[in-house]
Amino acid sequence: MSDPKIDEALRSMLPRLRRFALWLARDEHAADDLVQSTIERALSKWHARRDDESLRAWLFSILYRLFLDGKRRSGRYARLLSMLGREEPTWPSAERVAVAHSTLAAFASLPVEQRSLLIWITVEGMSYQEVADILEVPIGTVMSRLSRARRALRRLGEGVPETPALRLLK
Amino acid sequence: MTHTPPSEHDIHAYVDGHLDSPHRSEVERYLARHPERADEVQGWRQDAQQLRTLLAGDLAPAPAFDPALVRARAGRRRIVRLAMAASLLFCLAVGGMAGWAARGMGPGAMKPMADAMQAYRLLALDHGVGMDITTANEGDLRSWLAGRVGSSVRLPDLADAGFRPIGGRLFATDQGPAAMVLYDDGSGHTVSFYVRPPGVARHLLPRGTREDSGLLADYWSQGGHNYAVVAVADEAGRAAAQRMTARTI
Repeated sequence: MSDPKIDEALRSMLPRLRRFALWLARDEHAADDLVQSTIERALSKWHARRDDESLRAWLFSILYRLFLDGKRRSGRYARLLSMLGREEPTWPSAERVAVAHSTLAAFASLPVEQRSLLIWITVEGMSYQEVADILEVPIGTVMSRLSRARRALRRLGEGVPETPALRLLK
Repeated sequence: MTHTPPSEHDIHAYVDGHLDSPHRSEVERYLARHPERADEVQGWRQDAQQLRTLLAGDLAPAPAFDPALVRARAGRRRIVRLAMAASLLFCLAVGGMAGWAARGMGPGAMKPMADAMQAYRLLALDHGVGMDITTANEGDLRSWLAGRVGSSVRLPDLADAGFRPIGGRLFATDQGPAAMVLYDDGSGHTVSFYVRPPGVARHLLPRGTREDSGLLADYWSQGGHNYAVVAVADEAGRAAAQRMTARTI
């Protein structure tokens, strides 16, 4: 594939990548950094991509891993700070993202993997196999984790009153 | 009518609309018989529908991350990194070459036979105070030199020029033991004859002359030793040094 064709293929995925990054990091700047790093990595690793692999699944997998790596690093940093007796920096909270709906509020408060699962499967419509490949688990594990994620969303969504349309500016 | 409940996979596939119609009706029949399960699955379908609708608003173009831009930025960074690597290499090379060029150089060794001039300053200007050996006997001086610096060292005979040896002094230098024999013409002029090994680096000298703060030094290497003749840089000193050098080489 020539460079302009690669660019075009990546360009078409940008809005989805950014949306995923936004709901992973729940912070605009962190999301932008994630997307940028993902595109950089995709460009440098393009030759290593299997042709039969879906571009979307491949990019989501890169972004997801970058996010987890960054989180691990910041987790170490937080532990270090707390060892030094400093305040633990709070991970960008859900409030920074516009939360206009109880379902969204519930969704934003789910653990990272459940949020990712729901975006990949219900929002992006990816196949269970693609998700199993990203998480590197058997498809049955994806199913049980998906059940847990859906129950959690249901429980949290019902617990939050529908009315307060809390919309904080980003 | 089947009684086996649909698998977890089929339930999710039903929620996500991945089932073909025979499977779908099968799940629907099962849910019709199990209202509690049906409520939950219905809730999941609603949530999924809501998430899709709500998150659709987050699909915005992100021109800042256009791959062509990222590619260009990465290219620029690569150039900067290459330039940094190149300049680092350059610094290493310059430092290495300078270090190689400066090898063996230390204080006092920066200029050829600077130690000989220091030795002259130390002793000759005080006219031989602090000598290790004080004798005008050339035979004694020769054996003194042979025992300390080397037997191949020849002592110049300057008697016909009016210069006679007055004594010798040993010095410890970085290159090894050095000896200086001081000559005097009886009217206040002194010339020194200085000899030492070339050092571990075998830094042998081409024949040369230089002047530094009122002193002059003729220097050369011969037979594995470095020699210098040092005198005050005036008419008489120059003439005496020249004669001594001519006698020795």
